[in-house]
Amino acid sequence: MIEYLLLAPLLTSILCFFTRTRKQVETVSITGSVITLVFGLVLVSEVFKYDIIVTWQNALFADAFSGFMVLIVSIVGFVASLYSLGYMGHEFEHEIIDDKKLRLYYSLFHIFMFTMLLVGVTNNLGLWIAIEMTTLVSALLMILYSTKSSVEAAWKYMIICTVGITFALFGTILTYFAAVNILGETGNALNWTSLISVADRFDPTIMKLAFIFILIGYGTKAGLAPMHTWLPDAHSEAPSPVSALLSGVLLNCAMYGIIRFYTIATKSTGEAFTSNLLIIFGLLSIGIAVPFVLLQEDYKRLLAYSSVEHMGIIALGIGFGGMFGVFGAILHMFNHAMTKSLMFFGAGNILLKHGTKEIFNVSGVVKTMPMTGAMFVIGALAITGSPPFGIFISEFTILAAGFSHGHILATVLFLLFIIMIFAGFFNNVSKMAFGMPKSGVEKGEISRWTLFSMGILMVFVIVLGVYIPVPFYEMIMKVVAIVR
Amino acid sequence: MEEVIFGSNIMQLLIALILVSTFMILGSTRLYSCVRAFGIQSFLLACVAGVVGFSTGKYDLYIIALLTLLLKAAVIPYIFIYIIREIKVKREIALYVGISPSLITGGILVVISYYLIRSINAITGLSSFALSASMSLVSIGLFVMISRKKAIMQMLGILIMENGLFLGAISLTNGMPLLVEIGVFFDVLIGVLIMGILIFRINKTFETIDTDKLKTLIG
Repeated sequence: MIEYLLLAPLLTSILCFFTRTRKQVETVSITGSVITLVFGLVLVSEVFKYDIIVTWQNALFADAFSGFMVLIVSIVGFVASLYSLGYMGHEFEHEIIDDKKLRLYYSLFHIFMFTMLLVGVTNNLGLWIAIEMTTLVSALLMILYSTKSSVEAAWKYMIICTVGITFALFGTILTYFAAVNILGETGNALNWTSLISVADRFDPTIMKLAFIFILIGYGTKAGLAPMHTWLPDAHSEAPSPVSALLSGVLLNCAMYGIIRFYTIATKSTGEAFTSNLLIIFGLLSIGIAVPFVLLQEDYKRLLAYSSVEHMGIIALGIGFGGMFGVFGAILHMFNHAMTKSLMFFGAGNILLKHGTKEIFNVSGVVKTMPMTGAMFVIGALAITGSPPFGIFISEFTILAAGFSHGHILATVLFLLFIIMIFAGFFNNVSKMAFGMPKSGVEKGEISRWTLFSMGILMVFVIVLGVYIPVPFYEMIMKVVAIVR
Repeated sequence: MEEVIFGSNIMQLLIALILVSTFMILGSTRLYSCVRAFGIQSFLLACVAGVVGFSTGKYDLYIIALLTLLLKAAVIPYIFIYIIREIKVKREIALYVGISPSLITGGILVVISYYLIRSINAITGLSSFALSASMSLVSIGLFVMISRKKAIMQMLGILIMENGLFLGAISLTNGMPLLVEIGVFFDVLIGVLIMGILIFRINKTFETIDTDKLKTLIG
């Protein structure tokens, strides 16, 4: 099943490249992403049944955690491809991009999907390769418009993330060194399945060094402060459907890398070392987002800084540890993916309508685009952690974990930061949503596709706030068991 | 690595030469000389892989040596020269940090790397020596990236870092599994191509590849 799941987006991408008209490329893209979603769901159900699947001479594997990642990637990917119909369609109709660029966009989109799925199902510390590939593909997606700012953003993204990921490679090499000393030089010495059983015998000094490099490396890609500097540029300059994938999914993929290594490193170094590092980086990320959210003038950058904050929260959750901490962090990954994508879709609609990213120049969205406006406001409430939405549940769980494990100072700071972010974020969003519409902005939505895709995400945001379905709960519990 | 007794003198010589080639990059103001020095460095790395492969009998390493030779010592320098020619970039590289301070910084970075790696007890002998060279390459690569203005030099800096890691991987563990190594090569090649595309774009939109012009996005 894993092979089919990987093959689907790859084939879609190639097909997209060889289509002629807009209609064809859109049909191929949607069909491809539906198939990817279905295969993804099938894989998830298989993981449920067999716990662990290994194929392709041990190169690919899937356990509950991989399944969880596949679930996030395929859901958000599917919704983003729906949204692209409306968003890129609008750009096409207004002749901002031609049909050549449209084809390029869709084929890159599906390769991007492929690389992100690959991150989840690689049975190998060669996970590195997949994560580096995501950088390469998404840098190309970013320069689709080839404006000054997008080229600048793509260059920064490419350089900073490649350097970061080089550090991660060093961490990977050190881990391999530690593993070879125990397992001997076999091709399997980099596989999760064989590493995890012997990880407690690894040399702690080497593993400490390795974990620091991994945390800096993948942390750069995950947008943890102070390595987050590329993130606001990249996420605000990319086309909105891509911004959603970058913020909602790609950051999680890098986080997945950190958490996998955390599991291995903790077995050898003991919990205090790895957890404290995660708590420090997590808190720093949340804290650094505060001033930028309060004083932000660009609403896509506002969302980007909020992503820095949420990655910090996930790191913090893992750092607090215990059943609750890890559970909260994993649930938060899902909730954040859904809510942030929703917000970026809303921001995309607003951008198409107003042609500006400045908060100052946008107002009365609720009046001009009632559906988008309403969902944008609800999304803003959800993303800042107000009840009764999904993120409230996961943040609350992480807070509880912090208090019950005696990290009082860290938890109090965390609480303080998210209250300030709530105030700043909501202040900015309400400036955009309410008030008199700007003159010259016509009433009306962009397209039904953009609303439909936002609606799907809305369901997740609301449902997970009031009730966690039993299979989903069981799945997260399985992930928690793997991580701890 | 205790097994590498045969080649240890040759290895030490090669590693020393790799460091020399790195300083050639630091000490040069001309783009072509930098690219040439990078090519030499990659050639020496291929030799290291070959020697380790010969002394340990791991045939995977021959493939890796060949790939290094082909990609890093030939294809990638060629891509660099192509870019330099196509966009008619000024052959002198603009610096934030002058040549002599750069060389001194490089020296300091080597010393720091050496003492850092020596302090890890689990790594001894030749691998400790090679790993400190590898750390030096990583930190000097990073320094090249931040001290040179041209986008093309930042690309070169990343590749120096990558070479450093390659040296580290070979000296520590006789190379990673072949599948992983090939994946890394693939990523490096694609990465260089995409960075090349980006440099062309930067040149087209900004009419320069000096990265100090790239500062519109802040806050």
